[in-house]
Amino acid sequence: MTEPVIEPDIMRISWGPQHPMSGQTRIIIDVDGEKVHRIIADLGFTHRGIEKILEKRTFLQGIIPMERMVMADTPNIGLGYVMAVEEVLGIEVPERANWIRSLLCEMARINSHLYAFGLQAESTGYFPAVFLWTTIDRAVILDLFEELTGARWSLNFFMPGGVHNNLPEGFEDKVVKGAQYLRKRFEDYWEAMVENAVFEMRCNDVAVLKPEDAIRLGATGPVLRGSGVAMDVRKDEPYAAYADIDFEVVTESACDVMARTKVRYREIVQSLNMMEQIACEMPKGPIRKKVPLFARSKAGEALSRVETARGELGVHMFTDGGMNPYRVKINSPTLRNMYVFERLAELDELLVADVPVVINSIDPWYLDSDR
Amino acid sequence: MVSETPEEAFVESIKATYPDAIISAEVLRPKRVSVVVKRDHFLEIAKSLKDEFGFTHPVSGGALDYPRENRMRMIYYLMNPESRFMLTYGVDLSRDDLKLSSMTSVWEAISFHEREAHEMFGISFEGHPNMVPLLLPPDWKGGHPLRKDFKGEGVEE
Repeated sequence: MTEPVIEPDIMRISWGPQHPMSGQTRIIIDVDGEKVHRIIADLGFTHRGIEKILEKRTFLQGIIPMERMVMADTPNIGLGYVMAVEEVLGIEVPERANWIRSLLCEMARINSHLYAFGLQAESTGYFPAVFLWTTIDRAVILDLFEELTGARWSLNFFMPGGVHNNLPEGFEDKVVKGAQYLRKRFEDYWEAMVENAVFEMRCNDVAVLKPEDAIRLGATGPVLRGSGVAMDVRKDEPYAAYADIDFEVVTESACDVMARTKVRYREIVQSLNMMEQIACEMPKGPIRKKVPLFARSKAGEALSRVETARGELGVHMFTDGGMNPYRVKINSPTLRNMYVFERLAELDELLVADVPVVINSIDPWYLDSDR
Repeated sequence: MVSETPEEAFVESIKATYPDAIISAEVLRPKRVSVVVKRDHFLEIAKSLKDEFGFTHPVSGGALDYPRENRMRMIYYLMNPESRFMLTYGVDLSRDDLKLSSMTSVWEAISFHEREAHEMFGISFEGHPNMVPLLLPPDWKGGHPLRKDFKGEGVEE
């Protein structure tokens, strides 16, 4: 008599849709005991039809719904849209406006990475204090945003042809001071969290994504760079003022959760350096070209690419000669990384307790993936 | 002689390899290349894009609706990690026959984007492993929202 084959008992756990760590989505986890058998991302709980809304708005009105995609990172998202509009309308941007754009984009990247970093600390279950620190420290960035634009989150500061306002007096000095303060705080983060033995145990060698898999599965942003692939739109096709700013593309070779966390950490340090450099070397000049309020485009298309905090955002805009876009296709970074997250359960052995750590290592923003 | 960019070299090379199957291949601006092919050769060229031309990094996919011309265009966004330019690989479909072989056999990560194009435009992808709605609710009966003649959920057309 042969022994009966015991089918593995698969249990299905539904995580969400009420705010699993960040945003509204549902993660379905099939577990075999403690081992994760399969992950399914059930997206769409925050689908608002941004692509359809943009078809019904003029080019200028579209900035506002577009920026709602990622609230922690509105300058980067808004810039992707504004650059596409500038290309279809044939608008040139003054040099100073480009530098102000880069400054805000880097500040937003710090803000967004701080949030991701804090959540990564929280997700391991041991470092709620670090989440509070990052929340306090991002106020430095938000205060600067408020002084410049009047808003702390959704800035709506970029417009086709330039930026809304000039920098207030003494703003550059405050940027340098803020960067110096944050840099000092960051040394504490490294000691308290990244070098902590508990954090290392939770993050080292978890959810390994090899470089060839990262490329094949279409990963982007810190997830791709955490797998050692040096791809960054800011270097590959420099936009705004990035051709004149010194920075390096951060990569880590360990390919695990820790590598992705370290990439974010080191990118914040790069962004702090950039903030200082931009504040010191900001050129003088006009900040905006005059653009008609209801501009009419020629028939054509434009595909803009920007590096947001979560990875590459593409805005493919088609026009037919009207006052609004004919179609806007948004290539969202989180949607690409969510596919990678689904496949990670097959690429590496995960335990069910690892899932919050792993999902935060891809830094999802479901408003971004759902649009 | 003016040295040619990787974009121009690619366009010339793909035109020479598939002279009959390509409707248009052009460099739109630096770092942007657009290729539109006939539907019959769509999958065959996609395979060679991945294996011979090095487009191993899939980015995204989406569709466009032109009801006046009675056609739709499905576009795939592809990237070559070596030369780092963005290729938009398009194929035109008649609105009466919205069928296309699924690209997931070449780039599996296109899966999410084809699911989105399926629910938003009604294009059916043959051979897709998991054709369930991605963003819309499972009980959605409102039609295909990103089509130009979409009138709103619950409105009969």
